[in-house]
Amino acid sequence: MTRHAPYGLMILIAAQLLCAVFFLGDVVADGLEAGWPHFMDWHFGVEALAALALIAGVGFEIRTLMALLRREAHLKEQLGLAAGAFHEIVTQRFADWGLTPSEQDVALFTLKGLAIPEIATLRGSAEGTVKAHLGGIYRKAGVNSRGAFLALFIEDLMTQPADPVPHHPTPVSPTGT
Amino acid sequence: MTHHRVWDPFIRVFHWSVVTLFFANAFVVDDDSKLHHYVGYAVAAALVLRLAWGLIGPTYARFAQFAPSPAGVTAQLSDMATGRKRAHLGHTPLGALMIFNLLLSLAGIALTGYLMTTDMFWGVAWPEDLHEALVTWTEISVVLHVVAVIWESRRTGVNLPRAMVTGIKDIPDGLQIEP
Ligand code: HEM
Repeated sequence: MTRHAPYGLMILIAAQLLCAVFFLGDVVADGLEAGWPHFMDWHFGVEALAALALIAGVGFEIRTLMALLRREAHLKEQLGLAAGAFHEIVTQRFADWGLTPSEQDVALFTLKGLAIPEIATLRGSAEGTVKAHLGGIYRKAGVNSRGAFLALFIEDLMTQPADPVPHHPTPVSPTGT
Repeated sequence: MTHHRVWDPFIRVFHWSVVTLFFANAFVVDDDSKLHHYVGYAVAAALVLRLAWGLIGPTYARFAQFAPSPAGVTAQLSDMATGRKRAHLGHTPLGALMIFNLLLSLAGIALTGYLMTTDMFWGVAWPEDLHEALVTWTEISVVLHVVAVIWESRRTGVNLPRAMVTGIKDIPDGLQIEP
């Protein structure tokens, strides 16, 4: 687990973004020059595909970077009780439920026992916004109270230290992580 | 809501003059006209003044105040990744990166434009090629700049374009404020 900010990844993204912009500009210019009938010739097609592939790659890297930064931000506030492995299970659950990044952040603070006003202060948002996030979290997790939400994770917490491979409903591939 | 006077009159006049002059030369004025040259000189003069102001001007105008650090950039990206919010009184770290990019690109455009008019580079192709490449680069940067300004305004609830007009940043209560 890195404790450094992923500078390498950030620089790679910036560099590839530059390449993508130039590449795309080039493809568009070529396309405009070639005109409609030739638009579909193989040279143009290959170039366009390559540009799209590059952009898709950059998009994927940005998602990875955001996930990494989220993880770093969450682990930084970890209170010692739960280690990285428990965090993996939690994030897996959050992903299964389709929580948005903001909801994941609020859910994690809730798991750590913070109250709504505290979460609002930490996130720089209004209490009403945090309540709305909580509503979304409970709905997606299929519970209707904070207690029920916490209970979903109690089992994980208790089994975790004794058992490095979580045997929870959440599918975790043996080769994963 | 708290109010913070951050952009002094010089910065604001500088910004909107550069916007007008750049737009004029890129899209309106004929490239081969005398006017194109004068507008270019005006941009160069504005940049020289901005350089001086960045060294001796008030707090938020100074380059040293908003020079971006890797840690600052990471913190801003982490805020985006987690949906957390924090307000900056001066330029944000990512905003500052874009600003240095814009200032340097504009300086490059002015310089290569000037070189094209000198006897030494008469008929030499590269100053013109570079001039045009830098203009394209700046146009792309400006689009990103404006999109980013709108994005950050919506994300943090601080109206950045209005601050560049009035000089005052209105920061919603509850936001942690960074210099
Ligand atoms: C309508 C379009 C534009 C809007 C709404 C806009 C808005 C802004 C805002 C809100 C800032 C302050 C950013 C912050 O709060 O950190 C800023 C700064 C800046 N913008 Fe723009 N901008 C526009 C177009 C342009 C153009 C066309 C250029 C250059 C060609 C430009 C160059 C700059 C520069 C150099 C700064 C830094 C100001 C300084 O500290 O000297 N902007 N802009």
